[in-house]
Amino acid sequence: MAPPPQFQRSSSPSPSQPSGKSEISDLKLQLRQLAGSRAPGADDAKRELFKKVISHMTVGVDVSSLFSEMVMCSATSDIVLKKMCYLYVGNYAKGNPDLALLTINFLQRDCRDEDPMIRGLALRSLCSLRVTNLVEYLVGPLGSGLKDPNAYVRTVAAMGVLKLYHISASACVDADFPSMLKRLMLNDPDSQVVANCLSSLQEIWSAEANTSEEAAREREALLSKPLVYHLLNRIKEFNEWAQCLILDLISNYIPSDNDEIFDIMNLLEDRLQHANGAVVLGTIKVFLHLTLSMADVHQQVYERIKAPLLTLMSSGSPEQSYAVLSHLHLLVMRAPVLFSSDYKHFYCQYSEPSYVKKLKLEMLTAIANESNTFEIVTELCEYAANVDVSIAREAIRAVGKIALQQFDVNAIVDRLLQFLEMEKDYVTAETLVLVKDLLRKYPQWSHDCIAVVGNISSKNVQEPKAKSALIWMLGEYSQDMPEAPYILENLVDNWDDEHSSEVRLHLLTAVMKCFFKRPPETQNALGAALAAGLADFRQDVHDRALFYYRLLQYDESTAERVVNPPKQAVSVFADTQSSELKDRIFDEFNSLSVIYQKPSYMFTGKEHRGLTDISEELGNLSVEAHPAAEALPAQIYEANDVDLLLSTSEKEEVRGPVNNSSAYRAPDYDSTTAALVSSQVPLEADLSIPGLPAYNPQVSSAIDDLLGLGLSVAPTPAPPPLALNPKAALDPGSFQRKWSQLAISSSQEFCIEPRAVVALATPQTLLRHMQGHHIQCIASGGQPPSFKFFFYAQRAGQPPSFFLVECLVNSSSARAQVKIKADDGAAAGDFSALFQAALSKFGE
Amino acid sequence: MLQCIFIISNSGEVILEKQLQGHRADRSLCNWFWEYAMTQGGELSQLLPVIASPTHYLFQIFREGIIFLACTQVEMPPLMGTEFLCRVADIISDYLGGLNEDLIKDNFVIVYELLDEMVDNGYPLITEPNILREMISPPNIVSKMLSVVTGRSSNVSTTLPVATQSCAPWRKTDIKNSGNEVYVNLVEEIDAIVRSDGNLVKCEIYGEIQVDSNLSGYPDLTLSFANPTILNDVRFHPCIRFRPWELYQLLSFVPPNGQFKLMSYRVKKLKSIPIYVKPQLISSSGSCRMTVLVGTRNDPGKPIDSITIEFHLPSCVTSADFTSNHGTVNILADKRCSWSIGRIPKDKAPSLTGNLVLESGLSSLHVCPVLQAKFKIMGVALSGLQIDRLDVKNMPTQPYKGFRALTRAGEYEVRS
Repeated sequence: MAPPPQFQRSSSPSPSQPSGKSEISDLKLQLRQLAGSRAPGADDAKRELFKKVISHMTVGVDVSSLFSEMVMCSATSDIVLKKMCYLYVGNYAKGNPDLALLTINFLQRDCRDEDPMIRGLALRSLCSLRVTNLVEYLVGPLGSGLKDPNAYVRTVAAMGVLKLYHISASACVDADFPSMLKRLMLNDPDSQVVANCLSSLQEIWSAEANTSEEAAREREALLSKPLVYHLLNRIKEFNEWAQCLILDLISNYIPSDNDEIFDIMNLLEDRLQHANGAVVLGTIKVFLHLTLSMADVHQQVYERIKAPLLTLMSSGSPEQSYAVLSHLHLLVMRAPVLFSSDYKHFYCQYSEPSYVKKLKLEMLTAIANESNTFEIVTELCEYAANVDVSIAREAIRAVGKIALQQFDVNAIVDRLLQFLEMEKDYVTAETLVLVKDLLRKYPQWSHDCIAVVGNISSKNVQEPKAKSALIWMLGEYSQDMPEAPYILENLVDNWDDEHSSEVRLHLLTAVMKCFFKRPPETQNALGAALAAGLADFRQDVHDRALFYYRLLQYDESTAERVVNPPKQAVSVFADTQSSELKDRIFDEFNSLSVIYQKPSYMFTGKEHRGLTDISEELGNLSVEAHPAAEALPAQIYEANDVDLLLSTSEKEEVRGPVNNSSAYRAPDYDSTTAALVSSQVPLEADLSIPGLPAYNPQVSSAIDDLLGLGLSVAPTPAPPPLALNPKAALDPGSFQRKWSQLAISSSQEFCIEPRAVVALATPQTLLRHMQGHHIQCIASGGQPPSFKFFFYAQRAGQPPSFFLVECLVNSSSARAQVKIKADDGAAAGDFSALFQAALSKFGE
Repeated sequence: MLQCIFIISNSGEVILEKQLQGHRADRSLCNWFWEYAMTQGGELSQLLPVIASPTHYLFQIFREGIIFLACTQVEMPPLMGTEFLCRVADIISDYLGGLNEDLIKDNFVIVYELLDEMVDNGYPLITEPNILREMISPPNIVSKMLSVVTGRSSNVSTTLPVATQSCAPWRKTDIKNSGNEVYVNLVEEIDAIVRSDGNLVKCEIYGEIQVDSNLSGYPDLTLSFANPTILNDVRFHPCIRFRPWELYQLLSFVPPNGQFKLMSYRVKKLKSIPIYVKPQLISSSGSCRMTVLVGTRNDPGKPIDSITIEFHLPSCVTSADFTSNHGTVNILADKRCSWSIGRIPKDKAPSLTGNLVLESGLSSLHVCPVLQAKFKIMGVALSGLQIDRLDVKNMPTQPYKGFRALTRAGEYEVRS
């Protein structure tokens, strides 16, 4: 077996570390002696022993061998002992399902204890055992827990239902727990019970919604007006975390008219003053979302939320302010004008962590306008002398960006030039890059800049970007810099010391430019540069040198027109982040997206919920050790079924609906996989090979998903053939909405053909190829070797159901991961087959 | 919601692990986190609070050498994670009387118990310290004594706090206190940035009203200010009723028992700062002469205590020696200088002079240190906020009422 990962960390032995097996057997013996003892003080002795056991467990030592002794000792009235025992049992029950049966008895007994605290604790532990075959023992106590007179027990029970659902969804639904929760949610006097019911129901119905229409309706009902108002009116009774939950729910609620919007905002306004930042942000999200359609009110909302956000930012720990700051950043970027008078809040404090400073600098850049530029730039200049080098660089870049935004750059240019006089290499480097950009936008400043730039020794500039910038300026303004040809010549002489191809390319161009302006002085340098360039082993440099050489050979005046054309000043530099992307992040306000500055579809890939048991086991195993087994389903499928499937489905398209076609039934991917995987699970458990990192989440998730597929779709009857609408249309907005609403109905990973990998060199071809199969691409991206595509397709005929696909292709490992979401989950299997077939033909 | 909470020492050892959901998070996550931390330069306090690992989204906070790490695999409000971890850290620190590896290891049972009540299935549950204290009593000497005397050896109260069911979740209905007193403390932190020429770049006060209430029964308190308009933005404890504040700027509330933070506020655009710090740097051929003068600028009317000036020497300084005419100067290993002055003497202005030797090749100092000042003024709230009166209703006898104020330096920095 692979060594459990926890051992890797405990190299430094702590005092509580056992010396070895002997200590555990020692503990075992002592526990046995105490098990039946009723002597006074036995509880104290037990407690000491339990503490030892738990501390071993905490350090990561496997003490599961003590399971039966621990259970024997658990007959006690001491609540601390009970708690420790519950903790232990919860940790090891999964590994010892047979022994876990022993604990059921005493847990069930505790669930009927007089003391509500013990009832609650026992019920919580019972639900946390996570042993599938013990589910039957869970239903009874949960049912009575939901009816318990004590609110604490009901709170635990409401959450317990969710735990049960994750162990066995069917047991949970069969026992009619969801509707019991619903009743509790509407009627229970205790707010925490209501909150827990709400969170459980949200999870359960979202998970059920794909398979059952009733659940989908129930999920909708959570957003119905009566319920939303029921919660809203009581919101102050809830604890802060439950308030967050409710606010999150309300942010999805669509009010019927403007009056309702104002009602909700009035009800929630005081939440902006709450001590808990999460509540404040939740409220802000509701406000922003409610008023999206009302421009003027939206503006007022910004004004209203400014103060709470700024307070939240300046109080609390750096971690909290970072989260707040990320949201402020988003708002500032959307409406910089509104914050232009608050610029002082974004001044950096010396002791702040650099991630906070970076965000602040970006905001300062964004809100700079005519009225505050001077002060902001003065402040930024202070940071350029900062001890923190990365912040100093950012600050200089910020000054540059402001200069590029503003019309009146007079003072800023002076500041930038002062940076050059500081004679610190990184300051000089950053400034040079900025001066270059500035000159591209404002050529009128060239005289002032050139005078200073000319004084910089190229020896002090080492960074490729800065050096390129300097060389570019030398070439561009060689007529104004008397020294330019000689500096360039010097650089050409040291060609071999320069390792960056970027710099070499710039050098070639600069020498050419200089040559056309001052031929006699540059001729030597040009010859040397072209010779060195032609001999360069880097293709780009070689090609450019060759190109210039031939150009000069062909005709000098043409060459001049190519190399040195009259330039127009750049008016707008390309923005780094598209506004569409920003809007999308804004829609996900108060979520992790804001922190990453990426919409969630770019980073939340895997859905890990449900089917916890099996996938968890797999998560701890090394699956990498036997890729053959893992690839098996896909390969078998590919080898046997692709042709068959394709031919039949094509035939059927022509023939019209033919049900129960045996040819079509044969390649039923779902049942094959289900069978394969279920037979593989024990196999893999044995196969796990020592020495490999016992953590391969990606693969395990694939299996997780495969299983989900197998279990949920396997017994469907042969579906009607699937034809796709060749003219399907879906706009990005509705794609995004559907994508977030629907659950994954199919997900798989398979190998792609080598020829497809080759063809992927230009991802566009894949898009055209898929279009040929009536599957449209809506978004794509990625860098080699990994690409991401979003496709959609629509079923021809009625009802028009959409299929949404997320396809991750890794060209280096030649694997594709496909996730399919469908309006009609039943057809997803067919579509998945169709999709794979289309994909496998790619590159032919 | 949250999947798992790890408590990790600053050497990377997992001190404690609390799985919150059926779907367990593997411990190897901590290994990944630790390696990530090392690649980020190993400075734990500089780590991003929210990190995307290949499998999970991690929330982490760093408190006194301990990392609190939580992970999730689903989208959730970020502050919910961060804020909750902060509460966990606060409450554990409150229970154990501090935070360090040994304390947690010695009391891990308590920590488990606390986490058990604070979060269920990944959803934060009870984080109100007063209620938790009623459910699980802290491991202090008093409770140890009590257990010896009464023979009860459990730190868990046998009855559930009634507050979990009452409609004022911060207070149970039948509290009996031997004392009958309530204290109100104004604690203000002044944040300021002062430029080298003495100009104030920014000055702001962040204040808190801390209340220590030892009242029996169900008291109803009203606190009013003489000048509530100076408050720029306020944040309230859940016990404060919103209406009276909105209409009359009155704080009307039923207090939790014991200590709590009633309200926090912000006052911006302050014009006066209590002390001045004047640094001066004169470079000449490879060395730099540094002088710092400190004195009272606007007398707050009460003595300014425990003044300390701290700064980092720039990395290009190879050695330095300082002398001062008042107080003591220490240069720590990481080039951090700390000059503790204490109180400003009546007869002279404290000054610090020193000579910095620069790296060879540097003729003058380009990076100027930022000086951070610390001080404390008892008896004054510098924002000028004044409490007008405190009324206590619903009490058979009027309690003793005490008021105190304190201002201390928060981020008080002077550039040179």
